[in-house]
Amino acid sequence: MSDTQTFEDPTEEAKFGLGAHAAALVVVCIVALVGNTVATENSVPQGLVGLIVLWGLCMVGLVLTAVVPFKLPSVAWISLVGIVATLPWTPGSAWVVETVSHVNFLTLATPCLAYAGIAIAKREIAIAKTSGWKIAVVAVLVMTGTYVGSAIVAQLFL
Amino acid sequence: MYVKEILLDWRLHLSTLAITVIAEAIGVIKVPIGIGAILLLPLLYAFVMGLLINPNVIRAAKVWIKPSDVKAASPMIVIAIMPFIAKFGTIIGPSMRTIIDAGPALILQELGNLGTVILAFPVAVLALGMGRESIGACFSVAREPNIAIIADKYGLKSQEGAGVMGVYVIGTLFGTFVFAILASIFATTGLFSVEALAMACGIGSGSMMAACSGALVSAVPEMKEQILALAGASNVLTYATGMYLCVFVALPMTEKLYDWLGPKSTPAPSAGE
Repeated sequence: MSDTQTFEDPTEEAKFGLGAHAAALVVVCIVALVGNTVATENSVPQGLVGLIVLWGLCMVGLVLTAVVPFKLPSVAWISLVGIVATLPWTPGSAWVVETVSHVNFLTLATPCLAYAGIAIAKREIAIAKTSGWKIAVVAVLVMTGTYVGSAIVAQLFL
Repeated sequence: MYVKEILLDWRLHLSTLAITVIAEAIGVIKVPIGIGAILLLPLLYAFVMGLLINPNVIRAAKVWIKPSDVKAASPMIVIAIMPFIAKFGTIIGPSMRTIIDAGPALILQELGNLGTVILAFPVAVLALGMGRESIGACFSVAREPNIAIIADKYGLKSQEGAGVMGVYVIGTLFGTFVFAILASIFATTGLFSVEALAMACGIGSGSMMAACSGALVSAVPEMKEQILALAGASNVLTYATGMYLCVFVALPMTEKLYDWLGPKSTPAPSAGE
């Protein structure tokens, strides 16, 4: 491989407008609703209402990402909106908690990982191959070191 | 690529739907091993099935999934994680008191990220004989903010850049597995408290946290609320404070260690080998 390897910046996201985000989230929520119905005892109407609420929380987060002048990733806003909406002292929080309780949290991650598997590009396979087994060994040690290190510090200060 | 094409890529979305249904129908499988148990989660099967229909991985898959579908899948990852993040937020909110009680541990726990330098760096330099790519590879857990740091300081085409990208790619490919397995092993061995393990789940990307906390919940179902709240809070803090730790502590420390342990004044070998 003589040509210089170029790495695209993975922090760069495709620019979706608010409307496109709303539509794409509907697609994701439909997949999640089917998954939720397969995975849990929750009925379709229960799952549907829960996902509509989650969709709404995502949209508020996306609007904040677009409107607020200082830059934060959209997932940070969405997480914050979810937290604020369910704080014990927020009016109506009990209703939000009750409706989203019918959506299984782990099921929501399943479609995301399916997309991730389909999205692996030639470039990523090439990097994994050229970096070889050494980088794989190091990567596993990096993850283990971070996990154990964090657990030790947390354990000390709990 | 136009946004509309991504949205109307029915082949991609239908594949994801089918994968999700199969993965959820299989459900969680517990595999006992000597020191604990490994939990196989639906999200792991989903990732593997995604790879199996990816034409870049399995050539025969190109009869169904086209290169344009692969391209369209990339932006969908970020969108598909959003409802999950929102749900996570709704778990953190009601548990705010648990989080406030764990406050100091949660904030200081970021220091645990330095564990990667301690464990991985000496192996990379001394045992595997890696060059400057070991700096990029070992200073952090190599998620997007960490890549931005290396890109800013050395550029991604440098050796340090090759190191951080290598770990990033391996983490993207296998990180969910590694974290799910780490969590399930430690949860069943009883070396650490469940709260500490939950906080440690927050150190990586959203999908790593999902796999890790999911494995913990499956191992200790009665502590579901606390686990998810602490993992989520830790993940939020990782984005907020982890970056500063990397810039001001972890990266300078790794640089110093390299001066000390690394090969002395040899001509730089080419990146990647």
